[in-house]
Amino acid sequence: MAVAQPAARAVAAPAPRPWWRGRAGLVVAVVLGIVISYFGWRNDVPWPASLTWNSLAAHLDSFQTWLSDHRNLPHPSIVFRAFNGLASFLDDIVGWLTSFFFKLTWIGTTVLGVLVVLRYGGRRAALGVAAAFAAFAAMGLWEPSVRTFALTFASVALALAIGLPLGVLAGRSDRFARAITPVLDAMQIIPAFAYLMPIVILFSVGPGAAVATTLIYAIPPAIRITALGIRGVQPNTVEAATALGATRLQTLFKVQLPLARRMLLLSVNQTILFALSMVVIAGLIGGQGLGDVVTSGLYSNPALALLAGVAIVIMAIALDRATEAMAIRTDPAHRHLTEGKKRRLRLYTLACAAAVGLAVGLGYAFGAGSVWTGWTGQSWLLRQVQSVLDYVQNPSTFVFHITNPIGNFIVQYGLEPLRTFFVATPWPAMVFGLALIAFLVSGLRPALIVAAMLAVVGVANEWTPAMDTLSQVLVATVLTLAVGIPLGIWAAESERARRGMRPVLDVLQTLPQLVYIIPFIYLMPVSIVPGVMASVLYASPVVIRLVEAGIREVSPNSVEAAGAFGATRAQVLLKVKIPLAREAIMLGVNQGLIMVLAVVVIGGLVGSGALGYDVAQGLQRSLFGQGVLASLAILALGIALDRVTQGRRRRRLGDLA
Amino acid sequence: MKVRAGGLVAAAAVVVVLVTVGSAAARSSACGTVTINEQAWAGSTANTYVVKNVLEKNLGCHVNITKVAEVPVYQAMADGKTDAILEDWGHQPQWDQYVTKQKTVVRAGANGVKGVIGWYIPTYLMKQHPEFKTWKGLKGKETLFKSPESGSQGMFLGGDPSYQQKDQTLIKALGLNLKFVSVGAEPAQVARWTQLYKQKKPVLFYWYDPQYLNATYQVSRIQLPKRFKGCLDDEKLGGDPKKYACEYPSYTLLKFMSKKFASSGSPAVGVVKRFSWSNADQNAVAKMIAGDHMNPDQAAQKWISANKAKVNKWLGK
Repeated sequence: MAVAQPAARAVAAPAPRPWWRGRAGLVVAVVLGIVISYFGWRNDVPWPASLTWNSLAAHLDSFQTWLSDHRNLPHPSIVFRAFNGLASFLDDIVGWLTSFFFKLTWIGTTVLGVLVVLRYGGRRAALGVAAAFAAFAAMGLWEPSVRTFALTFASVALALAIGLPLGVLAGRSDRFARAITPVLDAMQIIPAFAYLMPIVILFSVGPGAAVATTLIYAIPPAIRITALGIRGVQPNTVEAATALGATRLQTLFKVQLPLARRMLLLSVNQTILFALSMVVIAGLIGGQGLGDVVTSGLYSNPALALLAGVAIVIMAIALDRATEAMAIRTDPAHRHLTEGKKRRLRLYTLACAAAVGLAVGLGYAFGAGSVWTGWTGQSWLLRQVQSVLDYVQNPSTFVFHITNPIGNFIVQYGLEPLRTFFVATPWPAMVFGLALIAFLVSGLRPALIVAAMLAVVGVANEWTPAMDTLSQVLVATVLTLAVGIPLGIWAAESERARRGMRPVLDVLQTLPQLVYIIPFIYLMPVSIVPGVMASVLYASPVVIRLVEAGIREVSPNSVEAAGAFGATRAQVLLKVKIPLAREAIMLGVNQGLIMVLAVVVIGGLVGSGALGYDVAQGLQRSLFGQGVLASLAILALGIALDRVTQGRRRRRLGDLA
Repeated sequence: MKVRAGGLVAAAAVVVVLVTVGSAAARSSACGTVTINEQAWAGSTANTYVVKNVLEKNLGCHVNITKVAEVPVYQAMADGKTDAILEDWGHQPQWDQYVTKQKTVVRAGANGVKGVIGWYIPTYLMKQHPEFKTWKGLKGKETLFKSPESGSQGMFLGGDPSYQQKDQTLIKALGLNLKFVSVGAEPAQVARWTQLYKQKKPVLFYWYDPQYLNATYQVSRIQLPKRFKGCLDDEKLGGDPKKYACEYPSYTLLKFMSKKFASSGSPAVGVVKRFSWSNADQNAVAKMIAGDHMNPDQAAQKWISANKAKVNKWLGK
């Protein structure tokens, strides 16, 4: 009842002043002011050269040279040797896993994978794993798949080992959460391209460097979602436990962690998907496996790149379903083990182990190789994919005659004018305007941060490309939220919608974007659109998942109470569930924005230009300083946008949400 | 109990099998293992696989192929993780750092292929507008290349971010009414210009040779001025700003080895040093791989069996 009351009050509240007299009206007025300044002084007031620090890039370049020179001395200092040790440790983990799977032979590897999942996850998940192995064999990608699996397994295990404890800490301590949030933002937003070269200098190339890069990107979601789960546990439950004399540790392990189980699962799931989404970038620094196939395929055999992309997706889905099934089956809350049952399970385990041994033995007896080299349907599959690509690449088809004008229209009348608006508006109008909006929406401190961030962008001599990128990021973020929030709510309300969406979301989060965006360019040959599309498709799954999990997490008591008062389903949703899931929805908004920024580089590779292109060029043409400055500009934009949108409530709620 | 004991025996058997197999030693040969780095484009795949097959078939080497990106591969060579690269398009900062200063990477000569970079248009357009043979013909006709994103100007399609380019400077220096549109990585750029090519529309773009697509699409280069006021070469990339060079220089594609490999005494070192072939050779193999989707090893072997004389020269016979 206590929970339903505020909702009832909200229904009864009288309509306030008309919107244009409130804050919304003031925001519109500020926007109008910026527009007027655009028409009045278009291109007249570029960021002044006297306010830029031009030698910054050169300083960064010489830092990298210094690093490399000292690292490559015959006897490098202890710091570099420590990194060397770490690198060979990571190399060894991946190398050991890979050669372990190879030594099992392909039969042994398959049987091991299927039986482990069968024993702990059940029949359905095991069937999925078997199907995944069959797919790798049929696609002729067994060896790269095993290599990628070893790399992912090592990365996910390490990411969870680091991320879960930190997430618990962030969930229990506001101060720690506040301190770590900007670090996590930076880890997710700064494109891997910017730090790939320093990582290579410190870790050299190979699986070790690939794991390090993957960790930087995959740890943040593990921390954030775990913390959200811990915070989501009802405070009265925790109080009750404390009142009963539970210690802090007991409360954590017996109350908070078990009750946050669903969120913890989501965090494992997201860590796996984030790790797999780094496969291609890891390939650039010697990660081997499917990433290599994708990269070289893109240049000379797009059908093969697509096939390798599909293999990554299949691995993601199989891993995700298997971990979920294992987590549910081993949930102590749902397992009531009697002595007899325990004994039977133990026998089952032994039987499985024996079967794996038998399979390995058989593998050797029949001379099965370390990888599957028998029949594959690769050439048939490639022909099929190629015929689809041929259709897509043919400008005389009927589809092209629809998509081409649409693309031209969007660019000519939508994105291009918007880009010109952002780039050509006088900079003081932009800085003060955005800061003012941040002040109106979120308060004084966020406004100051926004102004400072924009100043950083200008001083780093990135004003024009940053405004260019900002215009595209805004469009992508708005679209992402417009797609993600409603779909997330729908998935929370309907089990069927959730099931239908889930594989699609897995595909979008793990299929390397270039693999599907490049064929799309043939259909819509214009710049910017492909980049915006890549961002929306990559960012919305995270929003959908967080919104869905948040709404499902709303305690059933509140929902029941509202129902008892006679609220309709729509009322329950709008007045109870969504307000109570606010924290998760806000995390969704924040993550949507971050994901959009995280793929700015991909945009640069498919025609968005601006900061993304500069970052890519920074790595590949060894303009380290340029890459770092462009990345910093992306980060600054991210922080500024986050502060503009965070709203007033956030200060009280702890920064993670 | 009986079943359980059986399980234990089986488990023990697994362990025994694993240990036995694990200790089986790898085969060794005089040449040992050679690691060559392959780049994403088809030409690099072609020369990497031809050398790989020569080393494997003739010297009994075991050849590993890595696929590290262009710049990080220098650190890989410094660490001895990659032994050789066979096609480098010019990385002056890396040469200064790793070859000259640190001496962790050594030169292995030219690979015989001459690289050309420049401004290209489809040949059908060149036939319609013979004046486009030189850049002066472009003046006043830029709007022919108009696109939705270039507004009132003509569109110039920029190249892959990893490639050597200075087109924005050139456009400005030559005073052309062109808008530089960056279309991203090479596959994305190819999507853009081939789509216009197939519709027989005008398009002006950054392109290069040798490139296997040049066998499928007929493209012609626009002559840019050798020198022109305002063209400033980037000093950092080894250019001399006082020369006002406009046209891209032609590149001699180079090979590099790690110091460790070069001084290892492996017979493969000599092959890597002597390896050299022509643009036509490279294009032929690249076309088999990228155009006809042939397995790279098969394509390499096909070329090798048809070109015994060249291979023997690399082998020092």
